[in-house]
Amino acid sequence: MTGEEIIEKVKAGLADAIEDTDLPQGDAVIFVAPNSLHDVAEFLKNDVDLKFDYLSDVRGVDYLLEERELRFESVYQLYSIDHQHSIRVRVGIEEDNPSVPTVSDLWKGALYPEQELFDMFGIHIEGHPTMERLIMPKDWEGFPLRKDYPLTTETVAFSHNRDFKSELVKSKPPTR
Amino acid sequence: MSITEQGLLQRDKDTMTLNMGPQHPSTHGVFRVILEMDGEVVKTAEPEIGYLHTGIEKTSENKRYVHVIPMTDRLDYLNPPGNNLAFCLSTEKLLGVEIPDRANALRVIMCELSRIASHLVWLGTHALDIGAMTVFLYCWREREMVLDLNEEISGVRMMTSYIRIGGVAKDATQPWLKGIQDFIDYFPEKVDEYERLLTKNPIWLDRTEGVGAFTREEAINWSLSGPALRASGVNWDIRKSQPYSGYENYDFEIPVQNNGDIFDRYRVRIEEMRQSRSIIQQALKQLPKGEYKAPDNKVSLPPRQTLHTSMEALIHHFKLVSEGISVPKGETYVPIEGARGEVGFYIVSDGTNVPARVKLRAPSFMAIPGMCKMMEGCYIADVVGIIGSIDIVMGEVDR
Repeated sequence: MTGEEIIEKVKAGLADAIEDTDLPQGDAVIFVAPNSLHDVAEFLKNDVDLKFDYLSDVRGVDYLLEERELRFESVYQLYSIDHQHSIRVRVGIEEDNPSVPTVSDLWKGALYPEQELFDMFGIHIEGHPTMERLIMPKDWEGFPLRKDYPLTTETVAFSHNRDFKSELVKSKPPTR
Repeated sequence: MSITEQGLLQRDKDTMTLNMGPQHPSTHGVFRVILEMDGEVVKTAEPEIGYLHTGIEKTSENKRYVHVIPMTDRLDYLNPPGNNLAFCLSTEKLLGVEIPDRANALRVIMCELSRIASHLVWLGTHALDIGAMTVFLYCWREREMVLDLNEEISGVRMMTSYIRIGGVAKDATQPWLKGIQDFIDYFPEKVDEYERLLTKNPIWLDRTEGVGAFTREEAINWSLSGPALRASGVNWDIRKSQPYSGYENYDFEIPVQNNGDIFDRYRVRIEEMRQSRSIIQQALKQLPKGEYKAPDNKVSLPPRQTLHTSMEALIHHFKLVSEGISVPKGETYVPIEGARGEVGFYIVSDGTNVPARVKLRAPSFMAIPGMCKMMEGCYIADVVGIIGSIDIVMGEVDR
């Protein structure tokens, strides 16, 4: 199915759960609220014509620098192996107590990327079996991929040119 | 946390907890897995990653698009051109650039060469893990030739950064094309040689057949991709299903096996090397003439000689070097078939010359939970074989 057909089909099946749709460069994109995500995901997986049985990826985005009502977004990339089409589900998440339901009961492949979502953005995944740090150390503070998390140099244990290096970092203009 | 603090050395159950990695030669990098053993049988396997975390995604948000390309090399360091291509395709989709046919053909040649090199590393180390030392040395011998070809065209043996936004870094040279032709003439009999050493070898069969098997449904549900998925009977290759860079112009087959065990993954990858060789042969034969990068001055640098005569070329050159490429606002994702499976960059652009978010879809990262699921119920000696058969690269797992 092409992007337009997928969007039409999804709209027909779940009229009230879909907040908005988009078709950037022919990709089907739907916008969903966190509380209806699980129902939408279930429909996308089980519908005979859509049959999105393969979860490609789950990723988080922080839109702090843009004027937006909802700061975070988690994006689900789904693919259908039988029908060879794909869809992107974008879920806007609010800044205070960000949380989103898990889809790992539908696609086991979501376990790791969802845990990474918590690790990097601090988005709580409701119903996820292991809600703890994945890539960062267990005692790490802060969520590295948030836009307000500063990009700094690591303090080194010892170095022959430490003073020189810290001077260099201070005087360097931003990369932009 | 140390092993003592986590209580890994205590024995209060009938099972024994065994720590494997991160500094274990058979875990292919710094992968750690905590095994719950009942005698010689694995009860549960809990993966532990993050030892090679380099923060490339965060760094990318502070670099211009062009500067991200060399960092993508370091993600999956056995298949750098695949990563370059995935990043460039996503960026080009946002930019809306048309890529010349010659650039596409050169990209395909580079990617298929690196797929062969990557599979050679996999075959060598995987066979070494299971105990076949000779194959390792043979594979390294052929891989060296691919690395020499990389050096010839890009000046670097592994981290080539040859594929750029809008095309490739430089045009193909005659010695390079001749070298590739020599290599692909020489290579097929070497694949037969590896197969003679392994495919009917009773020790190899004992260690691989029926071990770490995944059914079709399991493999899809656990988001395996690439050769590991195709070994479970799923006929899905992105080069066929969503062709990019002109893969639809080449005639090749997708090897599929049905048992989903270590042996079938081996069979799929061996056959893929032959198919890659055939794709390179076709690409060399029909290598189109023309530009090797898009003649769009907003994306690729104007030719050197025009700088002395054309004011516009000079301005474009200055803008591209000082400011970089500005990508229109939007978000996109283009998957490609890397050596390990589906690779793709999800790029969010805010309209500036720096990406707002870069996320790699790494096949090794997605495969790790499934891989640990496979380990449950098999012998500890097979754990090494299973890790090898999935072919993880920790650079792209931890990013």
